[in-house]
Parts: sequence; structure tokens; C-alpha cells
Amino acid sequence: MNQLSLLIVDDEALARRLSREYLKKYDDINIVGECDNGLDAVEAINTLNPDLILLDILMPKLTGLEVLALTGRTHGVIFTTAYDQYALKAFDLHAVDYLLKPFSQQRFDESIVRARRLLNKELSIKPHQEIPALLADTQLERIVVRDRGQVHMIPLAEIDYIEAQDDYICIHWQGKSILKTQSLSALEAQLDAQVFIRIHRSYIVRLSAVKSMERISKDAQLAVLFSGAKVPISRAGYERIKMFIL
Amino acid sequence: MHPILSHLRRLFLFQCSLALVGGLLAWFLVEMHFASWAGALIFALPVLQLYGFMLTSAYYVCRSLPFSIRKAPKVLWVFGGATLFSSLVWLGFCLLWNSLITNVGFAWANVLLSNQVAIFLFCIGCVLYVMSLLAHDVLIAFENIRAAERQQAATQVLARDAELQLLRSQINPHFLFNSLNSISALTTFDADAARAMTIELGDFFRKTLAISERKTIRLAEELELCEHFLAIEKIRFGEKLIAQFEIEPATLGVQVPPMFLQPLIENAIKHGIYDLSQGGTIQLKSIMCDAHLHIAISNPIDQRSLIAAVNSTRGTGTGLKNIKARFENLYGGKASVSWQLSNIFFRVELSIPLVSARQTE
Repeated sequence: MNQLSLLIVDDEALARRLSREYLKKYDDINIVGECDNGLDAVEAINTLNPDLILLDILMPKLTGLEVLALTGRTHGVIFTTAYDQYALKAFDLHAVDYLLKPFSQQRFDESIVRARRLLNKELSIKPHQEIPALLADTQLERIVVRDRGQVHMIPLAEIDYIEAQDDYICIHWQGKSILKTQSLSALEAQLDAQVFIRIHRSYIVRLSAVKSMERISKDAQLAVLFSGAKVPISRAGYERIKMFIL
Repeated sequence: MHPILSHLRRLFLFQCSLALVGGLLAWFLVEMHFASWAGALIFALPVLQLYGFMLTSAYYVCRSLPFSIRKAPKVLWVFGGATLFSSLVWLGFCLLWNSLITNVGFAWANVLLSNQVAIFLFCIGCVLYVMSLLAHDVLIAFENIRAAERQQAATQVLARDAELQLLRSQINPHFLFNSLNSISALTTFDADAARAMTIELGDFFRKTLAISERKTIRLAEELELCEHFLAIEKIRFGEKLIAQFEIEPATLGVQVPPMFLQPLIENAIKHGIYDLSQGGTIQLKSIMCDAHLHIAISNPIDQRSLIAAVNSTRGTGTGLKNIKARFENLYGGKASVSWQLSNIFFRVELSIPLVSARQTE
């Protein structure tokens, strides 16, 4: 059997130590690193590219799900979590396994067996869709963007509008803007439709950032934001935003 | 529900008083030589019994004008109209009954109804009806008071249930399961620490359950709960977590609502210390001033996660709002909760009046 590299990501030292304890009997698994927060985990995943990650979900700085979103990692993940709404969802998707704390050595072993089987399959078959599906299904609290080795956390409440630019989206907040590789529709699905309105094929605007609407011709409207920015509104977009403003 | 017709005892008393008034009326008629004793009784008792039904209808007249919308002109109009109308009906009935008795052959029982007697009967009708209106008003007011009392009792039970629910939900499942996981880890390499943590966890939950059933506890008890909580969190977070308590001894005996501090300590860890790689110190101070207990809790924060925490759904909002609502419920406007956020620390200030919490009877 070939050697597996494994990364432990958990904010609690005792939890990491327990994982090490459970891994003792595996001669063929190589623990390449330990991280106690999401930011370090992003770095470690990018530099070490481990075969398997034991990933806690609720962590300081970045959540486990955000770590996956930022690194684009879609395979070889075993979630370890105490209790949260993602756990059962992850269970339905069999590409990833989940361990509910506290877990036994036996349960841990099963998880490793399952992960191994999936890793071997992966070499020949198409990449898994389950982790992207899980991420797409999760309501966001903030948007995290990685830009030249730096991670930006953008609170939703500070966003003015988001603009589609080819394969990227451009997020505008507090006079700054940043590019992220994601489709506008995928992001729209993760945002609260009561707060963020798709006013144009290429624009999503935060409702409370809108100061007024300006009619520029018979069919064309502009949303004027408190920041001073002006964003075009399509006819379909006008129908959508009308419900909230009028 | 009609306050007289639906109560047998009241109905009986009502019938008795009608008979008494009937007797008085008969006595009057005899005294004035308008009728013989037998004739007067045959006349007076039935008409009063019948009028009794009209008198009980005053209940619906009273109900049609609830106390809250009563104004003098309207009351005069409605009550006066009802009184005049009933009295007229009553007079008509007296005349009808008298002629009926006479015409079916009991001429000896005839009562001499002159115009003066008719006016007198009309006045009696008015007086009786007004008395009935007043009596029904009293009964309705009495009913309202009892209904309000029942409702107040029900609301208090509800509020108490809500409070208990709140306390139960504050036992954070993350905390429980992560602690169990830590114990599971400790068993292999530090059995003593595992045992110590199990005991702390047991004490913490026992204490939580015990105090959550009481309305107020001593500050000392709340602090003890916080100590248990911190002891467990210290095992989980190690060196990162430091707590400094500066408690004025005089404040220890002050009565406070249960579990008002522990969630704040939990917040300070979750939203403060937790995100700091190098850890930090939670400071808790209590002093007595101006007949109020003042408590301040402050913790350092990581600037980057700060904004996210304030805006996010698992942010500080709900915990503080809960405490604010509970204080409002217990102390009215006398207690206060405020917080300040700077770039490097978060500080919550509480003040609780020394007088006992609002009585809930």
C-alpha cells in the first residue's frame, strides 16, 4: 500500500493529540502538519497538498468550509466536528466522511478505510462534485477571497455591489474592489435573497446600500448607492428590486 | 356568560329580592286602599317576576358600552333610553295584567290604577332598571378584574417557561461535545486530568440546572458557575486563556438573575480569545456604587474577525439582546446593559439595582 500524507486541522490541541493517538497504528500514514486555525490550514493545504485532511469545521479566523472554498479542495477530506448543521449534510454526500466528536478509534478506522477506497478510485474517475455542492448549499456570513497569498474577509454588510467580469466576479466594498473566481449565479445562490438583489445579468446589489433609483431613459434605470457608485438595473432586475423598495 | 342567569345562587337571591319588592308594592297598594291584600299580591308578584327578565337584560346594555369607551353623553343616551323603554314596557304590562285579571272574572282582585298610580309604577320601573344597570356594571367590573388576574397569572407562567427554555438552550452543545472529546483525548495520556475535567463538567451542568430553577441567585453562585466553566475551557485552550476576577467582597451577596454572566464569559472566549493566536486575558470587575451592582467584562479581540463577528449570525447580538430583555423584564428600566467595541477590546458593562427583582406572584 502506498504512503498517505495527512494534515490535521483543529483548533484544540487535545483534539489534534487525539487524532495523532488514533493514527499511531498506521505506519503508512504520514502526518505532514498540524494547524490550529483556518488561515494556516489554507497555507498548509496549498504548500503540502496532503492526500487526506482531518478538518474541523468551526475554527478561529476561517471555518473549515471556507478553507475548502479558498483552496478549491474537493477530495480527501474527513470532517471532524462537535455539533453543527453541516454534519448531517456532509453525511449525505459519501465522497467526504464526517466524524462527530467524541468519536472512537473504531469509527476513526472506518473513516480511514473509506477515505482510502475513495482516494484509490479518484485516480481513475472524475473529480467529486459533493464538496462543491456542499459549499454551494451553505449560506454565507462573509465572503473570503485569497489574493496573492493574503486572505481577505469581506463582511456581507460592507458590500456595496458585486459585478460579473468574464469568469470572475468583482466585489466592491468600502471603496475597494477585489476579484474572485466564481460565477455570479453561484454566489447569488449563497446569499440571502432578501438582502442581496440581482438587479442585472451582471450585477448583484446589497439592498440597504441603495440610496435611490434614477431613470435615465424609458427602459433603463440606475441604482445610485450611498457610496456614490451607479449600477445599471435591467428590466427584469427592476421588477425584482421594485418589490423591496416601493 | 350572564352573571345572574348562569349562577343558580345569584338567580335565587335575585328572585327573592323581586318578591320582596313585589310585597312592598302590594303593601303600598293596600295601604292606599287601591286594592285588597289578595288582589294586590296577585297583581304585584307576577308583574315583578316578569320585569325581572327585563332587568337582567341590562347586562347586555352594560356590555354594549365597555368601560373604556364610556363618555357622559353616550352613557346618558343609551342607559336613559333603555331605562325609559323598559319602564314603558313594564307599565304596559302592569295595565295589561290588571285588565286581564279583571276580565277573566276576578273582579274582586282588581287594582284601581289611576293616572297617579300609573306614574308611580313607571317611576318604580325606572328606579329598578337603573339599579339593575348599576348592579350589572359592578358584576362586569368584578368579572373583568378576575379575568385580568387569570391572564396575568397565565402570562407569568409563559414568561417563566420562556426563561427556562432560554436557560436550557444556553447549554451550548458545542461546548458539551468538544469537552467530551477533550476528555476522550486526555484518557490516554493524562488520566488525572481527564478525571478532573469530567468532575468539572459534571459540576458545571449540575450547578446550571440547580440555579436555572431559581429566580435570583447570589452573585457568588454565578461566579462559581463561571469558574467551573473557565476551568473546563482552560483545559481545552491551555495557556491561551487567562481570566482575572476583581470582585469587591460586598458584591458577593447581591441577588442577580441566574446565568447572566456565564454566557458573557462564553462570548468573550468565543468571539475574543478564540481568534487570537497568542491568546488573551478576560477581565471581570464588580463594584458597588449608588445602590447598584456594576459589572464590567472586557476581552481583547482580533481586529480582523471583529467586524465579521459583529455582523454574522453567530455574532454577539443574540446573547447580549437576551440579557437585555431579561433585565428589562426583571428590573424595568432600573438595570442597564451596554457595550463598547474598539479596535483591540470588547467591553460589556452591566448595572443591576440592589433592590430585589420585580415581584412575580
